[in-house]
Amino acid sequence: MSRIMDAELRNLSTIIYKMGDLAYQAVSMAIYESLYGRDSYDRIKEISDTLILLADQVEDKIFEIIIRFQPVASDLRIVKSYMKISYDITRLGRYALDISYINKRFGGLGGSEEWIRTYIADMSEKALSMVKMVMEILRSQKIEVIKSVSEMEEEIDKLYINFLNKIIDETNIKSRVVVSSVLVIRYFERIADHVAYMCESIIYMLTGRKEFLR
Amino acid sequence: MSTYKIEVEKLNAWFGSKQVLKNIDMKVKDRAVTAIMGPSGCGKTTFIRCLNRMHELTPGARVSGRVLLDGINIYDDGIDPVQIRRKVGMIFQKPNPFPMLSIYDNVALGPKLNGVKDRKTLDLIVRRSLELAGLWDEVKNDLDKSGVSLSGGQQQRLCIARALAVEPEVLLMDEPTSALDPMSAAKIEALIRKLAENYTVIIVTHNIQQAARVSDYVAFFYLGELIEYGPTKDVFEKPRSELTERYITGKFG
Repeated sequence: MSRIMDAELRNLSTIIYKMGDLAYQAVSMAIYESLYGRDSYDRIKEISDTLILLADQVEDKIFEIIIRFQPVASDLRIVKSYMKISYDITRLGRYALDISYINKRFGGLGGSEEWIRTYIADMSEKALSMVKMVMEILRSQKIEVIKSVSEMEEEIDKLYINFLNKIIDETNIKSRVVVSSVLVIRYFERIADHVAYMCESIIYMLTGRKEFLR
Repeated sequence: MSTYKIEVEKLNAWFGSKQVLKNIDMKVKDRAVTAIMGPSGCGKTTFIRCLNRMHELTPGARVSGRVLLDGINIYDDGIDPVQIRRKVGMIFQKPNPFPMLSIYDNVALGPKLNGVKDRKTLDLIVRRSLELAGLWDEVKNDLDKSGVSLSGGQQQRLCIARALAVEPEVLLMDEPTSALDPMSAAKIEALIRKLAENYTVIIVTHNIQQAARVSDYVAFFYLGELIEYGPTKDVFEKPRSELTERYITGKFG
């Protein structure tokens, strides 16, 4: 027989999955915007605001679950992890919005050097894949896949540092391109960090182990 | 010196031919609260009754194995069970003050039976015990009243005072709050935490949240076996045993 708390936990999962889908949409729109200049700021802002509202809902539901059911063991780990994951997802939305703002403010990367566009396209696609993968892991609970997400996060860190080195060495790039590309790439690096935090929460939720993937 | 007050080794217990405890090994920390939890019939009460030789008072009941209290096996030949029960006091589920005795005499009876006759000494013991049990301020002007005139929660604290009066080292509590309202239960829980500063407390409880609130260590029994034993935070956060997980999350059965 299922417990009353099970229905509440399922509701919580539904909200978290919805948040993940929205964050994926926001990040993918921000990438498209950076590379191809399509203005999606208003829609991304709407998603980012929705994510904050949904995170509030998650927090309220978690408090209700604690009050009503006093969860322990795996139940306790689920609610603790969902609290953290919902915050991480709001950050994904926020970084997508930040990228969109930079695009709006600086006019995207359309006029930048080819290598910069290729570089950012490659890095942003990796970050977007990570967002997709972490939500799939959360749904399927197949934590063996987390290793590859963690490797991608390390790769993105290296790409970020490498990009900074390259841009310092390039002397004839317009300053607006330098500023916008560095900011955009920094946000993708942060997106990857938050996906790694989400992976840590998933490991804890499913096993009780506290692992640091960064 | 060992920090363990009680060390249980290969403890088995029977009622007639029915074995109710199976090869229990467990070390109980001094000056800490250890909660024993598990479903009905898992052997929790029998276990604590083995810790002060009360189990053997039931006709047909027997025990094998060792229970070391400060390193001395309480089941060795020559050990006086009465002395053990003085050192290891027991509080029961239902408050059971002696109905014919006053509040004062309920507490003073144990010391009197142990040979304390001097009135001043008895007064001091009664006061100290009632203070330790958090009851003194509520009853100091009514010491001559019957113990059963008190509320359920007060009666339970009177029983705790009665147990403390004979200066035990260990307190065994068998579901001490299950017959009490939430406010009275909360007072007993606070008292348990305070008592653990000076005593080793072992509490049997059906209330999982109570175990989580009051204990430093928790043991989970199932069908007479000790399934899991460890620091309360660990057991309630990430139990090692799937059985424990299912029991504390209510997925049992």
